[in-house]
Amino acid sequence: MNNKLNIYLFTIPALLVLCIFFIYPISLSLQMSFTDFTGVGIGNDVGLKNYERIFSRSRYLDAITITFAFAFIVVVVQNLIGLFFATALFRLPRIRNFSRAALFTPAMMSFVIVGYVWQFIYSPYSGGLNAMLVSIGLESFQRPWLGDPSTALFAITAAHIWMFVGYSCAIFLAGYANIPTDIQEASRLDGASSWQRFCHIEFPLLAPSITINIVLATIGTLKTFELPFIMTGGGPAGATRTLSLEIMTNLFGRYKFGFASALSIVMLIVIVVVVTLMNKYLRNRENNT
Amino acid sequence: MSISMNKSSSGSPKGNGMKFTGKTVFSASANVFVLFLVIAMLIPVAYMIMMSFRTGSEIAQDPLGFPTSLYFGNYINAMDKMNYFRSVVNSLGITLSVTALVSLLGSMAAYPLARRTNGFSKAVIMLVSLGLATPNFVNITPIYIIFRDLGLLDSYVGIIIVFTALNLPLSIFFYTGFISSVPKELEEAARLDNCSNWQIYWHVIRPLLGSATATLSLFVMLMVWNDFIYPLLLLTDESKFTVMISVYRFVGNRSIEPDMLFPAAVLGSLPLLILFGFFQRRILSGVTAGAVK
Amino acid sequence: MNKQKIKLIGTAISLLLASNYSYAAAVTLDVTAWKGNEAEPAGFPVLLKKFEQENPDIKIKLSFISRGDTDVVIPPRLQGNNSPDVMMVDMPLVKIWGDAGMLKDLNTKSDWYGDIAPAIKESIAPKGKLYVQPLELVGMGNFINTDLMKKAGIDKTPTTVNELIDSCKKLNDAGISPMLFPSGLSARLFAFANGLSRSPSKPWELGNGTASFVDDPGFNKAFSLTRDLIAANCFDPKIQAALDPWTTTLSEFRGGRVAMVMHGAWNIKSFSETEGLNYTLGPIPTDKATGTALDTFGMGWAISSKTKHAEAARKFLNFFAEDENLAVLLKDESAYSPYIKGTDGVPALAEKYNAARAAGNIVMWPVYMNHWPQAMESESVDGMASFLLDPDMSSKEVLEIWDETVEDSM
Repeated sequence: MNNKLNIYLFTIPALLVLCIFFIYPISLSLQMSFTDFTGVGIGNDVGLKNYERIFSRSRYLDAITITFAFAFIVVVVQNLIGLFFATALFRLPRIRNFSRAALFTPAMMSFVIVGYVWQFIYSPYSGGLNAMLVSIGLESFQRPWLGDPSTALFAITAAHIWMFVGYSCAIFLAGYANIPTDIQEASRLDGASSWQRFCHIEFPLLAPSITINIVLATIGTLKTFELPFIMTGGGPAGATRTLSLEIMTNLFGRYKFGFASALSIVMLIVIVVVVTLMNKYLRNRENNT
Repeated sequence: MSISMNKSSSGSPKGNGMKFTGKTVFSASANVFVLFLVIAMLIPVAYMIMMSFRTGSEIAQDPLGFPTSLYFGNYINAMDKMNYFRSVVNSLGITLSVTALVSLLGSMAAYPLARRTNGFSKAVIMLVSLGLATPNFVNITPIYIIFRDLGLLDSYVGIIIVFTALNLPLSIFFYTGFISSVPKELEEAARLDNCSNWQIYWHVIRPLLGSATATLSLFVMLMVWNDFIYPLLLLTDESKFTVMISVYRFVGNRSIEPDMLFPAAVLGSLPLLILFGFFQRRILSGVTAGAVK
Repeated sequence: MNKQKIKLIGTAISLLLASNYSYAAAVTLDVTAWKGNEAEPAGFPVLLKKFEQENPDIKIKLSFISRGDTDVVIPPRLQGNNSPDVMMVDMPLVKIWGDAGMLKDLNTKSDWYGDIAPAIKESIAPKGKLYVQPLELVGMGNFINTDLMKKAGIDKTPTTVNELIDSCKKLNDAGISPMLFPSGLSARLFAFANGLSRSPSKPWELGNGTASFVDDPGFNKAFSLTRDLIAANCFDPKIQAALDPWTTTLSEFRGGRVAMVMHGAWNIKSFSETEGLNYTLGPIPTDKATGTALDTFGMGWAISSKTKHAEAARKFLNFFAEDENLAVLLKDESAYSPYIKGTDGVPALAEKYNAARAAGNIVMWPVYMNHWPQAMESESVDGMASFLLDPDMSSKEVLEIWDETVEDSM
């Protein structure tokens, strides 16, 4: 009995830290979201006005849609590419270590730097991408990638995916390493082809790494503002304005702390709901394989 | 927690990092093809490095060209103005301290969460998800005021505590998943020997966490290295600055000059890449020690 | 060692300690600024040294915090009653921090306030409270690559919209790309200079809702002039809509691949360091014969209302009010003095811009004078981008949103 009680004490230091650094600030934000606080001084109570504005203007719902589109594209594409590389590298031990490190390199750079490098690549003037299209005879595909509202979001997601594909790959490779040797060998002796082994044995056993990858990528992208902030500033004409970018501009550009807090609370609720549902679904899936 | 985990319990212990078994020899062409794709992914990095060796006028004339000569002027200028070595040492020290703290607090909290499923652990996990979902900019003002009241402004201790706190939700999330996959048999044996929970955590669980900690340290490292809002907020003494602050104060804020941005970018990422090489090996070697003692 | 020696040493040590003590008692001013780093030194290395020499009892501790980070880092310090003694500010910051009581009233009776240029004198002390000591006014105009212009047979700096259109035609004929026009800056410079110089309303009337953008003939005209530039192939609007004004635009001009770009005078330093680039800075072409100078309030100093070193902070500000010192900063910044008879730091290549100023054809960038709400900064970028993406749209559509933005900010 003593033992059973005892084990929960282990969480106390962490709980303390979580309360001071997360619960307390969030409760302050909640309070602020009912005021017109500007970041300094004292805010006046404005009731639900901030929330009313969020839900009565299409601008903020659009931002939520863009955020989800961003997250969806990144989560799907990044993990597919990551899985592809991990699966290939698992079978190619000679280049595995080098490739894993190489793929991880972009994640070592900060968002600001990645943002500027890709801005140079996408530039409509002497930009790398357009120059490459010309050199392989695809002139007609040239465009101002970040300036065209129909491509801007995809261009930013591509940079984001490029940055984090090594992450996904590394986590998948760790998953592969955890597949027990005997299972691997048994299937090989059965004469299963590489593709069959992937579909029937490896993929189901990768379930935990799929969970981690998807949850991490979802959280990372729903919160993201750095790349749109640097590469387009939310433009052209709002095509890449994510919810957290909207919060940043209200908070630090316009000093509408009260309003930005209301937006943050909405965002927090959205993320927690999405991540909880997703986690539940993925854990169930893991247990059913 | 899952069948995959149960099956593995009979085989090699968890945490046996990267013991690969794929022995199939694929054709050379497959190797070449995948290698080609990997190298294609590195083009933007190569571009950054190339740009860093060119003078401002060269870049202006031909943004895509190769460097005509190895021009180190940009680097000499940047190193000189950035107080580079000092800030690298600072970032390194902070990273190590934060990793140590985060892995201790995180794995301690994760142990009961991974082993008991009840209302309490569910509530804690909710709390952790909330922490994970919190955008960093929400807690800036409260954190500043707390630190002012504790007298921790402009101190290494303060900045270490902040980064520990910000990384804690992720580490709990991470370790919970990891410990769930550690077979219970090891603990049960220890429990029969009348070990206390603390002894089991310290002598059985903790030694198994090596590869998880190595991976986690990567996350910590990235954050300490790349975040500049908190160091800027909490540190005023230049000699305590981390690398990224030095990079930003060097590059400036109005018009971006490529001949300053790119060398600073390379210098900013370089120590991280070298460290990564180090951790990479550590993950690879696998941390098997302690499991079968 | 005899007693006397020991005594002597003792005295020496206590003297040393005492001198240390008095050194520690000297005031250290905590100053934050988004200037003074390697990229934008603004003469600080020289000036701070000089100040410390003139005031041996005051030490300056300068922290560089970029303008963007200032929004993030300073408010918690203000809110936590731990603000820097002296802060670099611009007008939007003055409004927010001043209204919240965080800044010291510098008093309109200060010696230097009497000499402030009329274009900003009233606006920096609304309601009689003076929270900022201005340091510079920065010109924003039309950078012109003179080599490319010569190649196209143009020898006169275009100062009117018609001349600009004419130049575009000649440049196009010579196979030279005439302009870059990113919505992030250049397009807004053109639209604001033309809108404000033609508008019957005062800028603050548009910004506080007493006049509306939709009904303003000046701003509607500005959009139709933009359409004229597009028709004359001055630039490709689709490409310009989201072009980054701070990186690509500048490197294109530096590389000599475009003849004109409307931008700020802060680029003069780096443009002049670019080998093989010959250029001038002209005014924004409008319907005025000289063109229109579009000045912006660059930055100023403010003193925290909580400072414990008010006297030293005053001295620091007074130092920057002296023409001889300010001139060093202005030269590095290629900026204009905010004082009537101050020495400007703008080189001769901005002669045409100076002419427009001298003729009194000056408009002030309205957001940085607090004439328009801060939200207009990003809304106007979006508005110009939408218009460039679809130049056939009515200017009313954009201007209506600007009116809404003003309304929302009240």
